[in-house]
Amino acid sequence: MTAIDPITAMTPAPAKPVAAGRRRRFSSTFLAGAAILILSALLALFPQMFAPYNPTAFDYKAILKGPSLAHPFGSDNFGRDILSRTIWAYRIDLQIALFGTLFPVIFGTLVGAVVGYIGGWLEAVFGRIVDAIVTFPFLVLVIAIVAVLGPGLFNLYIAVSIVGWVFYAKLIVAEFKVQKRLDYAAAARVMGYSTGRIVLRHLLPNAMTGALVYWMTDMALCILLGSSLGYLGLGAQPPTAEWGVLIADGKNYMKTAWWISVFPGVAIVLTGLGFSLLGDGLADMMRAKQ
Amino acid sequence: MNRIAKFAAASALMASISLAALAASLACADAAPRGGTMVYGRYADSLFLDPVLNDANVDIWILSNLYDTLLLPTDDGKGVQPGLATAWATALDGKSVTLSLREGTKFSDGSPIMAEDVKWSLDRARNPKNGIWNFLLASIDSIDIKDPKTVVLNLKQTDPAIIAALSVFNSAIMPQKAFEAQPGATDADKAKTFAEHPIGSGPFMLQSWNHGSEMKLVKNPNYWRQGDDGKPLPYLDGVTFEVIPDDATRILKVQSGELDGSEFIPFSRVEELKADDKLNMELFPSTKIAYGNLNVRPKLKDGTDNPLSNEKVRLALNLAADKDAIIAIVTHGVGTPMSSYMSTATPYHVGQGAQFPVDVDKAKQLMKDAGFEKGFSFSCLVIAGDVDEVGIATALQQMWSQIGVTLTIEQVDNATLTSRYRAGDFSMRLSYWTDDIADPNEITSYFAYSPTIQSQHSGWKSDEADKLFEDSQKELDPKKRAEQYARIQELYKSGPTIPIYESPYPVVLKKSVKGFLQIPLGNNIFSGAYLEK
Amino acid sequence: MLNLGFVVRRLLQIIPTFAFILVVTFVIVRLLPGDPLSAMAGDRVTDAQVLQAKAELGLDKPFIVQFIDFTERVATGDLGRSFVVQIPVVNLISQRLPPTLLLTGMATVLAILLAIPLAFISALRRDRAADMAIRGVFQVGLSMPVFYIGLLLLTVFSAQLQWFPVGGYGDNWGDRFYHLFLPALTLAMSLAAVLMRNLRSAIVDVLNAEYVDFARAKGLMPRIILGRHVLRNALISTVALLGPMVGTLLGGAVITESVFAIPGVGRLMIDSIYGRDYPVIQGLTMALAVVVSLIFLATDLLQAALDPRVAK
Repeated sequence: MTAIDPITAMTPAPAKPVAAGRRRRFSSTFLAGAAILILSALLALFPQMFAPYNPTAFDYKAILKGPSLAHPFGSDNFGRDILSRTIWAYRIDLQIALFGTLFPVIFGTLVGAVVGYIGGWLEAVFGRIVDAIVTFPFLVLVIAIVAVLGPGLFNLYIAVSIVGWVFYAKLIVAEFKVQKRLDYAAAARVMGYSTGRIVLRHLLPNAMTGALVYWMTDMALCILLGSSLGYLGLGAQPPTAEWGVLIADGKNYMKTAWWISVFPGVAIVLTGLGFSLLGDGLADMMRAKQ
Repeated sequence: MNRIAKFAAASALMASISLAALAASLACADAAPRGGTMVYGRYADSLFLDPVLNDANVDIWILSNLYDTLLLPTDDGKGVQPGLATAWATALDGKSVTLSLREGTKFSDGSPIMAEDVKWSLDRARNPKNGIWNFLLASIDSIDIKDPKTVVLNLKQTDPAIIAALSVFNSAIMPQKAFEAQPGATDADKAKTFAEHPIGSGPFMLQSWNHGSEMKLVKNPNYWRQGDDGKPLPYLDGVTFEVIPDDATRILKVQSGELDGSEFIPFSRVEELKADDKLNMELFPSTKIAYGNLNVRPKLKDGTDNPLSNEKVRLALNLAADKDAIIAIVTHGVGTPMSSYMSTATPYHVGQGAQFPVDVDKAKQLMKDAGFEKGFSFSCLVIAGDVDEVGIATALQQMWSQIGVTLTIEQVDNATLTSRYRAGDFSMRLSYWTDDIADPNEITSYFAYSPTIQSQHSGWKSDEADKLFEDSQKELDPKKRAEQYARIQELYKSGPTIPIYESPYPVVLKKSVKGFLQIPLGNNIFSGAYLEK
Repeated sequence: MLNLGFVVRRLLQIIPTFAFILVVTFVIVRLLPGDPLSAMAGDRVTDAQVLQAKAELGLDKPFIVQFIDFTERVATGDLGRSFVVQIPVVNLISQRLPPTLLLTGMATVLAILLAIPLAFISALRRDRAADMAIRGVFQVGLSMPVFYIGLLLLTVFSAQLQWFPVGGYGDNWGDRFYHLFLPALTLAMSLAAVLMRNLRSAIVDVLNAEYVDFARAKGLMPRIILGRHVLRNALISTVALLGPMVGTLLGGAVITESVFAIPGVGRLMIDSIYGRDYPVIQGLTMALAVVVSLIFLATDLLQAALDPRVAK
C-alpha cells in the first residue's frame, strides 16, 4: 500500500501541548458530545417512559395530521404518532451504530496489530486483500448479502462487518509501523517480554487513538447506511421504527405531510452531532495528553 | 321570377350554405390536431420487445404500439374489434376459425403484410419451445392459408377464448422474411438482433433506444388504421418514453411541464394531482388486483404443521382483515373492494361488494373452533421497497394481532420471492395480478386449476374446480360457461387467497393530452392520442 | 521525483485484485437465490420454463465448466450478452459508465471547491461563530440521507424555482453539466463534510506546528506561510482521503442516479442484481474494479507528486 496511508491522514497529528492555563481533563466538546449521547442512551433504554403512544398503534382518526398538542411531531398515514416512533427508533439506531461497528473495531484492530507488528510478507498479502475488498462496490455487496441471507438488521451487521474491519486494520497497521520503531518498544523487546505482551499491553494502547476517533464517525455513517437500505426496503422490517425507514416512508408526503421525514431526520442530525463532538473531543484530549 | 320566389330561393341558398359551412366546421372541430411528440414518463424501461419471447409487463404494455394483432381489444378491454383481420367466424362445430385479412396493410418498411406472415407469426407464438405465452394459443392444431386474404385456424378442440387470444400481444403479426433473414442459429438469437431494429405492423416504429434511459418511437407512415379525419393514424409524430424510477421525481417532472404524462402515480399523490388544474389525474379502469397468496399445504417446507391449511383459519384471517380500512389507508380511497378472486372487469366475474366483510368477533370464534385460540405466527413475503405491499402488510400485521396472529414481514427482491414461491417455501406472499387476455381462463388457470402451478403454488386442490375448468375451456355456450365460472368462484371462497383490493391505473396527463388510453389489460394505447395546441 | 518503478509496481498490483474480484463475483452471483427468468416474469413462470431458460443461458452446466467458459471469453474481451436486455455487456457498460464517471467527477470537484475555502475559514476563525456555523451546516449535510437531500434539491431548485431541469442526463456535453449539477451537489455533501473536517483539523495542526513559528520568526509574511506550507500539506491529506472515499461516492451514486433518473452504472448494478443478470453483474464489477484501481493509482501518484517522501 502507499507509504502515507489515507486513513492515518484522517487522524489529527500530534501538535504542541496546550498552554498550561487552558489545560482541562475533559474538553468541552467531549462533554457536549457525551451529554447528547447519554440522553440518546436514556431514550434508547427507556422509550416507554418518554413516548406518549405505542409506536405501532394505528389511529384511523388521526391519519396524516400535522404537529399538534395531541401529536407534537404529527402522525403518519396509519395514524401512528411520529414522536413515539422517533423515540422508539433510538434503541434500533443506536444498536445499528454499535453492532455495525463492534466486530469491525475488534477484528480490524487485532488483525492490524498482528500484521503491523510482523510486517514484511504478511503486510504485502494484507495489502492485496484490503485492495480487493475496498475496490468492491460496497452498497452492491450489502445488497447481494441481504439478497442471499434475507432482510433485516442482523444480516445488515454481517454485511457491514465484512467490509468495515478493513479501515480499522489499516489504521492500526500504519500506527504500528511507527510505534514499533520507537524506543519504548525496543526497550520492551530487550527486557524479554513476549511478543503478545508487547503488542497488546504496550503498542496497542498507543496505536488505538486514531481508531477510536474514527469509530465515532463510523457509527454515524452506519446509521446513514441503514437509512439508504431503508429507502430500498432492505433494512429494518415493518413495523420496526428506524429513522432511515421513517424518512423513506415520508418520501411521497414531502409536500403534504413533511413532518413524517423531517423529525426523524433531526434525530439523526443530533445523534450524528453527538458522535462527532465526542470524537473531536476525544482527539483534543489525546492531543493534550501528548 | 316574382319577388317572393326570389326571396325564397335566396333564403334556401343561404340556409344550405350556412348548414354546409356549419357541418364543415363541425367536422373540422372534431378532427384531432396532428403532430407533436408526446413525452411519457415510465417507472421502468422495457427489457425485450419481442411479442413472443418477452417476459414482463414493462414489455407487454407498450408492444401494441409496435405490433398489431389480427384483432384489436376494444377500449373497455372486454371484447375485440377488427385489426389486421376484418372478419372472423368460428365454424359451427367450433373446431376452426376463419379469418379474413384486411386489404392493403403494410409493415413499417413498406412491404405488404401477407397471409404467410400471419401463419408464420401464429405458428411461432404457439410453439411450446418459444417463451412463456404459448399456452394462450395451445388449442391451435394447424394453420391453413386458403387464399391470400383468408387464413383458417384448425383447433384441436373447441376453445371459447381463441377469439380473445387473437387480440393478445403474443399473437402479433411480424414480418417472416425480415425476421428469418437475421443472423443467428436459433429463434432466440434471431429475435435478439431483430429487436434491435424491429420492423412492425403497429402505429409506431422504434427509432432509438437508450437502455434504462429513453426510448423514441416515431409514427409508422404505413399504418392501416385511420383517424376521424380520414387520414392514417397515429395523430402524433412520435412518442418518447423517459425512464424515471423514483415516483417523486417523475411527478415533479410532470408538474414542471417536462413530461406530458406519467404512469404509476402513487396513491398518496392522487388527491394532490387532482387538485392541480393544469393536469388530468386519470384513473383508468383495470383488471389489476392486490391479493394475499397463502400456502395451504398441511406441512410447511421445514416440516412444521401449517395452520393455514385449516379452512376456518383462512376464513378467520379474511374476516379479521378490514379491507375497507386498507383501501382507505393504502390506496387513499382510490381502490375498490374485491367480490371474487378475479377483478370486476374480468368477464364472468360474479359477486358484489366486499367478499368477506370485516367481522373480528366471528374471526376470533373461528380461530377458537379451529383450535388456535392462542394464535400462531407466520411470515409474509413482500417485494422490497413496494410502498403499497408494505402498507398492506403493515395493516394486516396490526389487524391480525387482534385475533392472536403474529405476522412478520420479510421484504425481499422479486427474484428471491419468486424462487421461494415456486418452491413452496413460504407461508404467505403479497402480489398483484393483471389479466393479459379478456377472458377468465388465464387467471383461473393459475389460481384455481391445480395442474398448472398448484393453484398459485399453494397446494390448494379442488377436483370439482379442476373438472369445471377443463370443461369450460371447451364450452362454447356463454351461459353454460358463466355457470361454470360462477361455481368455480363459489368453490374458491375457501381458497388460498386473501382478496384485498382492485385498483385502477393511476396516470397523470397534461390537460393538453387527449385520446390516450390504458385499457384494463394494461396496454398503453397511443394510436389515438393527440396534443391539443 | 516520480519513480517509474513505483508506477509499474502499482499497476501490476491491480492484477491479483482483479482476479480475486472476478472469482468472488462469479461465485456470489450464483449464490443469489432465484434465477433470471423468475426475476423478470415473476409469478407466471412454471418450473419447466425456468429449467428451459436456464439451459438456454448455459446455467445448467457444472459450475467449473461455466467458470472456464467465462474466463476464456473474458480473455478475448467478450463479456457476453445481458440476460435481461439481450445486448452485449460491453456495449451496455460503455453506454452507462460515462454518466456515472461524470457525476462522481463533478461531485469530487464540487466537494473540493466547497471544502477547501470553508475549511480555511473555519480553521482561521476557530471556535468562533463562523466556525460553528460552517461545521453545523456540514454536520446537517452529512446526516441527511442521500435520497432526501436529492429530493429536497429537486423540489426546490428544479420544480419550484425551475433553475435546473428535473433530473435526466441531457443531450450533449454542455447540457450534461447542467443536468448533473444538482445530483453532483447531492453526492458532494457527504464527501465535502468529511474533507472539511479533516482539512480543518490538518490546518489547525499545521498552524500550531513549530516550523510555522520558525517561519514567522524568520519574518515571512503570513500569506506566504499559509500558501506554501499550510496549503500544500492540506492538499496532501485531501488527496489521501479521496481514494477510499471513491467507494462511498460510488455507493451514493446508486441512490442519486435513482432519484435524478440518470442512466448510469449505479442503477445498472442494482437493476442487474435484482434481475439476476449475471453477465452484467460480473462485467460491471470488473469494470468498476478497474476504474477504482486506476483512481487509487492516480491519487497515489498525485500524493507522490505533492510529497516526495511517498515515492520510494
